[in-house]
Amino acid sequence: MNTIDQIRPNDDIDTDIRLDLYRRQVEIRDFEQRAYDLFLQNLVKGTSHLSLGQEAIAAGFAVAMQPGDKSFCTYRGHAHTLARGVPMEAVLGELMQRDNGLMRGKGGSMHLTSVEHGVMGSYAIIGAHLCIANGSAWRAQYLGDPDVSVCFFGDGTTNIGAFHEALNLAAVWKLPVVFVCENNLYMEYTPIGDVIPVEHPAADRASAYNLESIVVDGNDADAVYREALVAFDKARAGHGPTLIECKTYRHSGHSRADPAKYRPEGELDKWKERDPIFVYRSRLQEFGIGDDAIAAIDQASKDKVEAATERCKASAPPPAEILTTDVYADGGWAWRN
Amino acid sequence: MAELSYRDAVARGIAQEMERDQRVVFLGEDVAKAGGVFKATVGLYDKFGPERVRDTPISEQAILGAAMGAAMTGLRPIAEIMFSDFLAVCFDFIANEFPKTRYMTNGQVSCPLVVRTGNGAGARFGAQHSQSVENWAMMIPGLKVVAPSTPRDAVGLMAAAVRDEDPVIMFEHKSLYPTKGEVPDGEIVDTLGSAKVLRTGSDATILALAYMVPRAVAAAETLKAEHGIDCEVIDVRSLVPLDTQTILGSASRTGRLFTVEENPRLCGWGAEIASIAADEIFYDLDGPIVRITTPHIPLPAADNLEDLALPTAERIVDTVRRAMG
Amino acid sequence: MDVLMPQLGETVAEGTISAWLKEVGDSVDAGENLFEVETDKVSVEVPAINSGVLAAIRVDVGATVAVGTIVAVIDSADAASAAAGEDAPAAGKKASAAEARSAPSALRPFEEVRTPTESFGSRKMAGGLRITPLARRLIVQGGLDVAAIAETVRDRGGTRIAAADVRAAAKEAPEPSRPPAPTQAPTPAPQAQPSGRDVVVPFSRIRERTARHLAESWRSIPHVYQAVEVDFSRVDRARRASRQAVLDRSGVKLTFLPFVARAVCMALADFRNVNATLEGDRLVVRDAVNLGIAVDLDHAGLVVPVVRDAEQLTVVGLATAIARLTDKARAGQLAMTDLENGTYSISNNGSFGTLLTAPIINAPQVAVLSMDAVTKRPVVVETDDGPVIVPRPVAVIGQSFDHRAFDGAYSASFLKRVKSILEARDWQAELG
Repeated sequence: MNTIDQIRPNDDIDTDIRLDLYRRQVEIRDFEQRAYDLFLQNLVKGTSHLSLGQEAIAAGFAVAMQPGDKSFCTYRGHAHTLARGVPMEAVLGELMQRDNGLMRGKGGSMHLTSVEHGVMGSYAIIGAHLCIANGSAWRAQYLGDPDVSVCFFGDGTTNIGAFHEALNLAAVWKLPVVFVCENNLYMEYTPIGDVIPVEHPAADRASAYNLESIVVDGNDADAVYREALVAFDKARAGHGPTLIECKTYRHSGHSRADPAKYRPEGELDKWKERDPIFVYRSRLQEFGIGDDAIAAIDQASKDKVEAATERCKASAPPPAEILTTDVYADGGWAWRN
Repeated sequence: MAELSYRDAVARGIAQEMERDQRVVFLGEDVAKAGGVFKATVGLYDKFGPERVRDTPISEQAILGAAMGAAMTGLRPIAEIMFSDFLAVCFDFIANEFPKTRYMTNGQVSCPLVVRTGNGAGARFGAQHSQSVENWAMMIPGLKVVAPSTPRDAVGLMAAAVRDEDPVIMFEHKSLYPTKGEVPDGEIVDTLGSAKVLRTGSDATILALAYMVPRAVAAAETLKAEHGIDCEVIDVRSLVPLDTQTILGSASRTGRLFTVEENPRLCGWGAEIASIAADEIFYDLDGPIVRITTPHIPLPAADNLEDLALPTAERIVDTVRRAMG
Repeated sequence: MDVLMPQLGETVAEGTISAWLKEVGDSVDAGENLFEVETDKVSVEVPAINSGVLAAIRVDVGATVAVGTIVAVIDSADAASAAAGEDAPAAGKKASAAEARSAPSALRPFEEVRTPTESFGSRKMAGGLRITPLARRLIVQGGLDVAAIAETVRDRGGTRIAAADVRAAAKEAPEPSRPPAPTQAPTPAPQAQPSGRDVVVPFSRIRERTARHLAESWRSIPHVYQAVEVDFSRVDRARRASRQAVLDRSGVKLTFLPFVARAVCMALADFRNVNATLEGDRLVVRDAVNLGIAVDLDHAGLVVPVVRDAEQLTVVGLATAIARLTDKARAGQLAMTDLENGTYSISNNGSFGTLLTAPIINAPQVAVLSMDAVTKRPVVVETDDGPVIVPRPVAVIGQSFDHRAFDGAYSASFLKRVKSILEARDWQAELG
C-alpha cells in the first residue's frame, strides 16, 4: 500500500508523460483560477465547484487513460473534463452560459459532458454515477470492448447508499471499472471525521467488497498515474474493479460561495506546501527538465486561458429556440399529439 | 393466433426483441434463474443465457444505474423493478438521471432503456406493494410511460419500448398477469403514444388504463343495456406520449368525459387529461368531467377492503348514470 | 476596468461594503485584496482582478448594492482592460419569438395546450338557468334565441340548458320565420303611459314566449278560417253509455275532445296535406299524426303538448294520452319531447261556451282546428213526414289554415269529412 510518507524518487515514467502530466495540472490550475475570478465578476454564473489543489488526481488518471476509456465525475468536474482534452473554450463557455459552451448552456457547470472525449457526464446527485459507471463497464464486459470506466467522487460519497450498491455489484460481477475517491478531508462544510467512523473513507470500506485497500498521495501526479495504470490493467484483463483513495486538499471552499472559514488555522497553509503543482515542478526539475521548458508550458497555459476567456466573452448567450430541444430523441419535447 | 396469458406475453415481448437485437440485455432481481417472482420472464435465461439475462442483488439503484450506463454506451437494456412501489427506492434515476441526460448534454447522450415494473392492486399485498404509480412517471419531463391492458398490448408495447430511443417506463399490472387474450403469431410491434377505442358510443367517453379497462368495458355494456346510455370506451395505454387526438376527438363528439383510474385521487393521470379537456374542448362539454378513482388513502390488505377501494364496474355504472342525469 | 460587486453565494443577490483596503490613487496588484464584503452569510475579502491604480470608489463603506454593481474603477495599464465595457452578458439577449427549432411536433413553448380563442356567450346568458358550455356554443353558432330555449326548459321544470334542448329548438325554428335574436327586439309602437289607477301587469315568461310565437305565426301566415256545424247526437249517445265503464277501466273522463281528435286523425288519412309543415317554399307532408292539444294554463299562457302517432290510438287511447299531457302541462312537468314535432293541433274552446273561434296556427304546422261549445240547438231533420225541427247537441268545428299550403276547397272537404265521421260513425262499437 502506498502511503503519503513514502514519496520516493522515480524514473519509470517517460519525460513526455511527465510533461503531459505537468501541462494538464497547470492548465487546470489556471482555468480554475480564471473561473474563480470570473465568478466574482458575475460572468461565471450559477454555482461552481473548483478543484484548486486537486489537479494531480485528474491529470494522473487522465494521462493513464486511453482515448476510448469512459470517465464519470461529480459536479466538481471542470478538472476531469479539461484533463481529458476538452477545449477550455467549450468548458468556460458552459460556465459562462454562452452559446459556445460545451452543452450550449443547457447543462451548466455541474453537468459537463463530452461524449466525443469519453467524458460521460458530471453528476450532481451524490452517488448516482457510480451505479452508472457500472453500466458502462457492464457494456464493455458484455460486448468484449477493451475500455475501462473510471468514476471520480469525493469522500462524502462513501456514505450514500448508491456507493455501496455500486461497489457491491461491481465486485460481484467483476466489472472493468475503477472507482476513485478524492478525499479532500471535508464533506461540504464538515470535516469527514464527523461523519465517517473510519479513517479512510474509501480504502477502509474496500474489504467489505472484497477489494484491496489502496491509499495514494493525491497531490503527487506520478503516484496517481502509477496507481491508475495498475488498476486499468487489472480491469482490462477482466480481473474486476478497483477502489483507490487519493488523499488531497482543496484550496478553496466547497463551492464558490464558500470562503471555507470552518477550516482550522494553518491547515490550508500546511497543504499549500504540498501543492501538487509545486510538487510537480520540483519533480520535473529533479529529472533534468529545464526551466525554459517549464516556463513555456506555464505561458502557453496562460495564453490558452486568455484566448478562451476572450472568445467566451464574445459569444452570445444561447438562443431561445434551444429551450425545448433535445428532451426526446427526435430533437423535440412533445408529450402529446 | 394463440391464446396467451399476460405474463407469458411479457416474456414473449422481451424474447422477441432479444432475438432481434444482440444489444438487448435484461437484468433484475430473480428474473433469470427463477423466471421472475411473477413468472413473467420464464424461459429467457434458458434461451439467452447468463450474459444477457442477469440476476442482481437487491439493489434498485444499482440496477437502474447499470441500465443507464449500459444504455448510454451502446446497449439497449431492459431493467425490472419488481414492484412499482420500489420506484421510490431508486427514484433518483427515474426523476433526475434517465430523463434529463439528453437535455442537459445538449443531445450528446442517449438513454434507450426500458424499465418494466409490476404495478397495481388486487393481490392483497398491502399498502407498500399494491400502488398504482404510473402518475409518478407521467409527471417527469423526458420519460415515456405505457401501461398495457391485454397480452397482445404487452407484447406490442414492450417491442415499441425497446426500439424507442428514449427511456420508457412500462407499468405491467400484477392482477392482469393471469388474464388471457388472443395474440397473433409472428412479430408484433405497437406504437407508443396511441390509445385504443375499444367500444364506440355516442353519449359519453370513458377513459381507462390497465386493470380498469375491462371494468370500464363491462360498465359500458351495462349502461347501454340497462340504462340506454351509450358509452365510448378508450384504453389510454400510453400516458406519455399522450394520444390527445383520440381522447379529445371522442370527448368532443360525445360531450361527456369520464376517467376510471386505479391511482389514488390527487394528481392521478386522469386529472391531467381532465385539465386538458376543460381547456381545449370546453365548448364541446355538455356536463362536468368526472373522475372515478380509488380514494386518497393507502391501500388496505384485506380482500373486501381492497375490493371496496378500487373502482368497480358497478361504481362506474352508478357514477356515470347519476352524472348523465 | 470596472470592479463589480461579486456574487458571494448561489442565492445571494446583494452585498454590503464593510471596508476598503485601498484608497483612491493607490496602486493595486492583481490578486491583492481590495475590499471587504458582508453578506447575510459571510464576510469576505475580495481581491483585485487586474493590476493598476484605484481610480475611483463608487460605493462607500456601509452601503448595500446589488450583485454586479460597479463599486470601483481601476485604471489599468494594459490595453486588454479596455474590453471591460462589453462584459455585460445581457448584451446578447435576443427577444426571440422563434418557434421550437426542428421540433417534429407542433408543440410550442408555453402553448402545450391549445386553449380555444373563441368564446361563446356568457354563462349568464340564460337568465338564471345554468347552461352547459356546449349549449352556449350551439346557441351562438346557430343564432338561436336563448331566452326562448330557457323558457322551454323552465316550463318543464328544468334547471339547466343542455345540448339536447338547443338541438330541439334548432329543429323547431323554421328558417324563414326564425325568431329574432334577443337583442333585436322590434321597435315597439309608442306606448300609452300608465296613469294613476292603471295597473301594469308584466308578462310571465311563458306568456311572453307564447305571445312572441303567436305574433310571429300571425304575421307570417295568411290565415283563412272555415267552419262547419256538427251534430254530436251519436257521439253523445255513445259517450253517455260508455262514460262510466271507461272511467272504471282507464281512469279517464270521456269528453267530446277525444272523439273530435279521433275523427280528425281519420280524416287526415285522406287529406294528407293538412297534416304537414311548411318549410320555406315547400310543404313537408308528415307521415305520423302528432296531434298537438292546446292547454290553457289558467290564463298564465298556452302550451301545446303533442300526442305522438295519434292515428294509432282509439278514442279511449286518445282520451288517456290527452289527459296525461294536460296533467303534466298543468303541473309544469312537460319534457322537451312532449312539445316537439307536432303536425296538427286542436284548440278546444268548448268549456268557454263560445260559438266559434278562429285560432292562430301553430307554426310551422299548416292548420289548426277549433272546437267550440256543444249546446242544444234547434236542428232541421228530414223525416218521412217532411222536415222537422228537433233539439240536438251541436257544435261549430272550425279550421284556420295556411292558404299557402292549400286552398279553400281542400280545407272545406277536410272539414266536411271530419263532420261526417263525427255524425255517422258507429262510436258505440269503437268504445265497446
